[in-house]
Amino acid sequence: MALPRWFPVARKEATTLLKSKGTWILAPLLVVWGYGPTYISWDTLGPDVTVGFVQVAGSLLLPLCVLLLTYRSIIQERTSGSLKFLLGLPLTRTEILIGKVFGRSVGAVVPFAVSTVVLGVIGGFKFGLFSPLRFIGVFLVTVLYIAVLVSVATAASAVTTSTVRVTAVVFGGFFLLLTLGWKIVGVRLYSAVTGNPVNPLDPPADGLLFAILRLSPGRAYRTVTNWILGLANSGGQYTSVATVLYPGHSVNEYVVDAAFSGQPVPAYLHESIALVVLLLWGVVPLALASYRFNRGDLA
Amino acid sequence: MTPPAIETDGLSKQYGDVVALDELNMTVAQGEVYGFLGPNGAGKSTTINLLMDYIKPTSGTARVLGHDPWNDVVACHQRVGICPDRFETYESLSARRHLELVIDTKRADDDPRALLERVGLADAIERPAGEFSQGMEQRLALAMSLVGEPDLLILDEPFTGLDPHGVALVRDVVEAESERGATVFFSSHVLGQVDLVCDRVGILYEGDLIAEGTLPALRDTCDLSSDATVEDIFMRLTDGSAHAGEVDA
Repeated sequence: MALPRWFPVARKEATTLLKSKGTWILAPLLVVWGYGPTYISWDTLGPDVTVGFVQVAGSLLLPLCVLLLTYRSIIQERTSGSLKFLLGLPLTRTEILIGKVFGRSVGAVVPFAVSTVVLGVIGGFKFGLFSPLRFIGVFLVTVLYIAVLVSVATAASAVTTSTVRVTAVVFGGFFLLLTLGWKIVGVRLYSAVTGNPVNPLDPPADGLLFAILRLSPGRAYRTVTNWILGLANSGGQYTSVATVLYPGHSVNEYVVDAAFSGQPVPAYLHESIALVVLLLWGVVPLALASYRFNRGDLA
Repeated sequence: MTPPAIETDGLSKQYGDVVALDELNMTVAQGEVYGFLGPNGAGKSTTINLLMDYIKPTSGTARVLGHDPWNDVVACHQRVGICPDRFETYESLSARRHLELVIDTKRADDDPRALLERVGLADAIERPAGEFSQGMEQRLALAMSLVGEPDLLILDEPFTGLDPHGVALVRDVVEAESERGATVFFSSHVLGQVDLVCDRVGILYEGDLIAEGTLPALRDTCDLSSDATVEDIFMRLTDGSAHAGEVDA
């Protein structure tokens, strides 16, 4: 089978990232960031706490860095004029975007994979043999999450006309509101829509609240990875989720199992739906951006 | 019958109230070397940007080697080589990587070194383009445009940033490509280089094609002697409305 036409563009993007020091700094940072056993999470997960390290690595620092490595990928070429080389190739504009997303994803996955291996070795050594299936599962979902982040940042980069604007959209909008701050923003949104106040330590058993919360790509990612961990149905970090479930402890995190204790849980809160949410984040913004990118003036 | 290399009909581009290109009707036959001349801001780059699908037209149509340049971009670009104006190369990538990008996308079988030899850059094949001078970047872009023996070579201001050796080199490349049978379409505001290489020139002024033809024909039209240069023709045609300063070289 012949390689797709956009493959050389993807190779160029991956090479560009892997030649940059910033990409490689990510690997040790993710190890330091991800490694953080707590007593409760160890008591809950046992050796699988190592799998949790990978989730933590993927939760805040990884999205920030992946967005940083990607958000200028098109706007920079547009401003410098190098985009004229890509546009002059026998490729549709959509193929250029796909090549960019694929190549940058590979470029970002490589340092993440290195740090995952290191976390696995350290964790396995200290906490015993974890479930390799869960470990690989969380790794693969994180790879998907990286591709989603690259896709969103590429989409923003393709439709904005200035670096300032793309910075505002990607970091102010997507990262700050939707990824980092969604627990606060989403709950406020819920309260504004329904008029119900929410006590974060004892959230209501309302499907809408949890559905809004997992619209965030970061929370959708953690919902899927907590599912793989066999922990609980929640978009929170595994350590917080374990704490909520631990007898005699409570923490500000939204866990379906705790809030609905015993009551029937709506089907749309199933973890597999969070996987769909994640996939939609990967496809919809890029499709919309591609629609505009295909019609615009680029020089 | 082979279609023209380039054919435009009423091709126009407006940015708000500014008319960058006004109903351009132009035909470039296959095999021709066509010099597209005019001062900065005349609409030369706008035309090339339209032909290359960098921008979309406000109105009008165009055909490039018989293809619709906006809806049939893959088939079209497979046969076109472009050396753009106002570009930067990829600073962390070597000259070889730049050429491989084009060679592999076009599925051509060129040897990167051979292409770089043609533009005098073979020594720099493994060096990252970030270390290149403007002239070297221009040579690299020229080499990229030659990949896959294009039927149409579009060179936007190819003499920019080149020393006299580089200028001579561009002329040699244009001649060699023309002998191979390619059509060469190049824009320039440096009129002096044009006499030597062009079969035909078109003169664009304020978004309008004000004259087109072989140099002898244009000399006749303008009632100029046989040793009149493109500069003389240009000055006569614009009849003093183009101040010398606008034709900046």
